[in-house]
Amino acid sequence: MLLPPIGALLVLGALVAYYPSIEPATLAYDQGLIDAGISLGTYIRTSDAGGYRLELPTAVDQVLRRDSYDSVYYRVLGPDGEPIAGDEGLPGPPPEREARDGFISYDTAYKGQKIRAVAVPAKCGDAACSVVVAETTVKRRRMARDILFSSLLPEMLIAIATVLIVWFGVKRGLGPLARLSDEIKARSPGDLRPIAAADTPEETRPLVSALNGLLDEVAQASRNQQRFLANAAHQLRTPLAGLQAHTELALAKPLPVEVRAELEQVHQSTIRTARLANQLLALARAEPGARGNAAELNLKALAESQADAWVHQALARDVDLGFELEWAPVQGDAFLLREALANLVHNAIEYSPRGARITVRTGRNGSGSFLEVEDDGPGIPPPERERVLERFYRVPGTPGTGSGLGLAIVREIAAGHGASISITDAMGGSSATRGCRVAITFPHG
Amino acid sequence: MRLLIVEDDAPLASGLRRILEAEGHAVDVTSRGEQAVLAAAQERFDLVILDIGLPQMDGFEVLRRLRAGSPDKNGPMPVLVLTARDAIDDRVRGLDLGADDYMVKPFAMPELTARVRALLRRSQAHGGPRIVHGPLALDTVARRAFLKNEPLELAAREWAVLEVLLGKVEKIVSKEAIIQAVAGWGDDLSPNAIEVYVSRLRSKLEPAGIKIRTVRGFGYMLEEYKGA
Repeated sequence: MLLPPIGALLVLGALVAYYPSIEPATLAYDQGLIDAGISLGTYIRTSDAGGYRLELPTAVDQVLRRDSYDSVYYRVLGPDGEPIAGDEGLPGPPPEREARDGFISYDTAYKGQKIRAVAVPAKCGDAACSVVVAETTVKRRRMARDILFSSLLPEMLIAIATVLIVWFGVKRGLGPLARLSDEIKARSPGDLRPIAAADTPEETRPLVSALNGLLDEVAQASRNQQRFLANAAHQLRTPLAGLQAHTELALAKPLPVEVRAELEQVHQSTIRTARLANQLLALARAEPGARGNAAELNLKALAESQADAWVHQALARDVDLGFELEWAPVQGDAFLLREALANLVHNAIEYSPRGARITVRTGRNGSGSFLEVEDDGPGIPPPERERVLERFYRVPGTPGTGSGLGLAIVREIAAGHGASISITDAMGGSSATRGCRVAITFPHG
Repeated sequence: MRLLIVEDDAPLASGLRRILEAEGHAVDVTSRGEQAVLAAAQERFDLVILDIGLPQMDGFEVLRRLRAGSPDKNGPMPVLVLTARDAIDDRVRGLDLGADDYMVKPFAMPELTARVRALLRRSQAHGGPRIVHGPLALDTVARRAFLKNEPLELAAREWAVLEVLLGKVEKIVSKEAIIQAVAGWGDDLSPNAIEVYVSRLRSKLEPAGIKIRTVRGFGYMLEEYKGA
């Protein structure tokens, strides 16, 4: 993120260093040309016929033109600009260019090459002649390149150092934030304890304090919700218990047949309402904010503690309820896991025919601890297996009076524990009586 | 038997009273925890049915005060806790504080009366030397059993297993629990051995209408006697 601006600064820095240093170097080379022009001017002679000529010894001409890199050209012009001697066609100075210290220096081209030229005034008798000396730009370009590179190298070193310093600085500066983020990530979702300010670096204190404020509000909201649920449970269940008690009392008396039939309906509705209330409360309790703290649990013990109640339900429906319970440790909310298991067992008892065989299993396998309930009832057709986990969905044609909430509750609770839920045919089931096996697997923690 | 119901919901309290009176008990009802503590201090009840969600002094506090009193000379006073809460720690707290059983509202009346009978029977058996279950009677002092008033021959281990089951009528007793209770009698016992004793007990008791149900993979449950 910081690299583009640093790169731009590098280019700018190189340009700023280049232009001031190229100017004096150019002037130094120009001075060489001027000196050559001045010495050339001293070789102009006035002829008797009133003309001018250049009497240049061959040795001087050779010295003048000798250069390791560039070709050197010159031309001598008379007072009226007429050529006297030198290279034909060498361009004169542009007319608009003003002289500096009497000399005009300019860029032009000759024989298809870029050249640098100077025009130097020269005395020819009483008149003013001029000498133009020019050279190709090989060494000037080389010089410009050298200057550019010599200024770029330190610029680049500075840029690399800057990038490294910024990188280390940012990393070091963000270190406390990274540690804080790790600490928050490592928390379980239900852990709303404040972050200990003593363990965090000075720079993150305001952030930690703001986070703790938020955590406190969430914890408060969670406590309020749990209190509300406890109250709602009490307010709902107590009158339902009274209603059920009086209905059952009335049913125990001799009654006219039609009144008994009506009262039986009231009784059934009461039981259904009570179950629905329990399920809605369980669903609300499974919401993230309402969950209690996770504890070390053993699914085997959990199932054993509820076995009494289930066996009585099973006996009432003439169903053979059995257990295959092995040690199965999990981290979780005991109430919710008991509720999930109870819903699975209730479903199996409710939807299995008389004489059915239901088995509750807990244990550990390669994936983790599991609990499952298997029956040899009608089963759930494969296309319905996703949908039965939705709230209020019931497989079309299902007898009974269920609300369609049981498996949705199981799914919510499983999800809240990071557990997966699977619905399959029972082991050894056929397509006619495929049976049903619902398993919840808790990954190794 | 003398029962005390502590429940602030009037319709539920009256329903409970009538059901338990129909069972032949003398029933007192109060809606206040403070009154329950006072009443229990002055009079002897064979069983207290206690709601946890009481106004002011709640059921936990009532239970704590009932249990904090000096041990009753006439034997323990069983407490059946009723709760509308579903948090498990409430239940555990109730049992830790000395509740003998709990039920979550709402509940079916036959289940309530069965629990009440079981608690009364247990407290009766606790002090007394005689355990009665329908036509079956065990004299724990003389170690003699009677079925329909006829002497019943029981081997020592059959007796031990039966005693465990009689202590938890209508509750599942796991095979491990039975082994533990009987293990004091000597060498190692296998779950298979327990099956043998239970099957011998069945052949002796079932003709008289006493049923021991097998809970597959778990244990046994002595059903409540419902007549031959």
